[in-house]
Amino acid sequence: MTDLTIVVLLAVSLSALLLWLLIPRIQSSKTTAMQIPSTVNEALAAAKHYGYFPQIRQALSAGDTKYLRETAPRHVAKQALRERRAVALRFLEGLHEDFSNLLTLGRVIAALSPEVSREQETERLILSLKFQMLYVLVWLRLSSGSLPLEQLEHLTGLVGRLATRMNEAITEISARSMGQLSRSVDA
Amino acid sequence: MNHLENFLSWSTLSFEIVVCGFVFVRKVHRILPFFALYTCVILASTVGVWLTYTISGYTSLTSYYAYWGSVLLNAATRSLAIVELCRYGLRAYRGIWALAWYVLTTVSILLLAHAAIDTWGQPDKVAIYGATLDRDLAFASLVILAVLFVFRKYYAIPLETPQRGIAAGICFICAFDVVMSTILRNVYAGYLFDWFLESEKARWPALRAQFLRVNDIWSAFHLFFFMFGMGIWCFALRKPVPMPAESPVLLPAEVYREMSPAINMRLATFNDRMTELLKP
Repeated sequence: MTDLTIVVLLAVSLSALLLWLLIPRIQSSKTTAMQIPSTVNEALAAAKHYGYFPQIRQALSAGDTKYLRETAPRHVAKQALRERRAVALRFLEGLHEDFSNLLTLGRVIAALSPEVSREQETERLILSLKFQMLYVLVWLRLSSGSLPLEQLEHLTGLVGRLATRMNEAITEISARSMGQLSRSVDA
Repeated sequence: MNHLENFLSWSTLSFEIVVCGFVFVRKVHRILPFFALYTCVILASTVGVWLTYTISGYTSLTSYYAYWGSVLLNAATRSLAIVELCRYGLRAYRGIWALAWYVLTTVSILLLAHAAIDTWGQPDKVAIYGATLDRDLAFASLVILAVLFVFRKYYAIPLETPQRGIAAGICFICAFDVVMSTILRNVYAGYLFDWFLESEKARWPALRAQFLRVNDIWSAFHLFFFMFGMGIWCFALRKPVPMPAESPVLLPAEVYREMSPAINMRLATFNDRMTELLKP
């Protein structure tokens, strides 16, 4: 490639990236850093998908699969397994949403903090990139049927514990920020 | 100058006057003083270069230096306007601003050092120096703006619409400068290089037509796209520019110190579990 081709390609890609970043999202539902006090309630709903964990666990359990295979006609069992896989995929999407909410919370806290650690922010960026990659791989394996559904149990259990801790933390932040707001108003 | 260039020059000048008018009517100079300075420098340098062309002639050496001088002056004030855009609205978020400042300064130093080294290595001719430096500065501006907007998007700190329009105009001008300056530099340093050599004086009459043709084509494209960039600014400033938003209420520093490692730890555990899922 010539010097010219490289420069032109770089300039075009950078401009495309900038355009994408500059175009306002019409129906953007993303949290902005300024909105934290009003979105605490929304943030409390972070990791909401774990709420369906008992049902999902039941639906994905090895016992259920075994029972289906033994008792139901072959085509019915096949269809049921296909539907269970679709449910598992949707649930995985939900977990992705939970992860994103948690990540957004981390970013908003960082944005509203008077001091930020470079190491912590770099680590979070790497973790989110790694998660995106892993999510794609798990999604592909689940879609192709090469991932046993039971393994999702470990993940859902983790999200459940995570959500409980986050709820506590967000309540704490909310209380602190409201306290600071009222102090600012008093002053 | 041919008719097309004349037409484009007058149109560009009109756009520049309109942009300057908008900047002062909308009181943008109070919010973004360096951007206001940039628009004024553009207008002043266009008028200055045009006067030089009229007095000294389009192909004179004075016009040649005046043109390249104005290009570099524009690039310098544009850099100031970009620094201002980086600072705008982000400074209130003290923690993020410290981080952004560190990242942007590192990127800027690297890119400016590259621009200096790249220009230093060029043949000793003003036009080639000018084209290389203009290209590298425009490229640096594009990268810095891209980093800034990635940063803003990542931390959900959006820029107001007029400022976004101003940034879009600068991006457009920079992107086009990168492409056009690269082409011009390659032509000058390539098959038109003899035009700059005293030893090839005998060939100058034969090269003159080609040299002027390259300049004409380049000027026409440059003026056209520059005018388009001005159009983006006019569109961005068509409505009154809102005053900067109030500074956000920051959380106590302990919240970040406690929460951030906890969130990262949880995210890491999450990734570990996802990795486990993939193990056979």
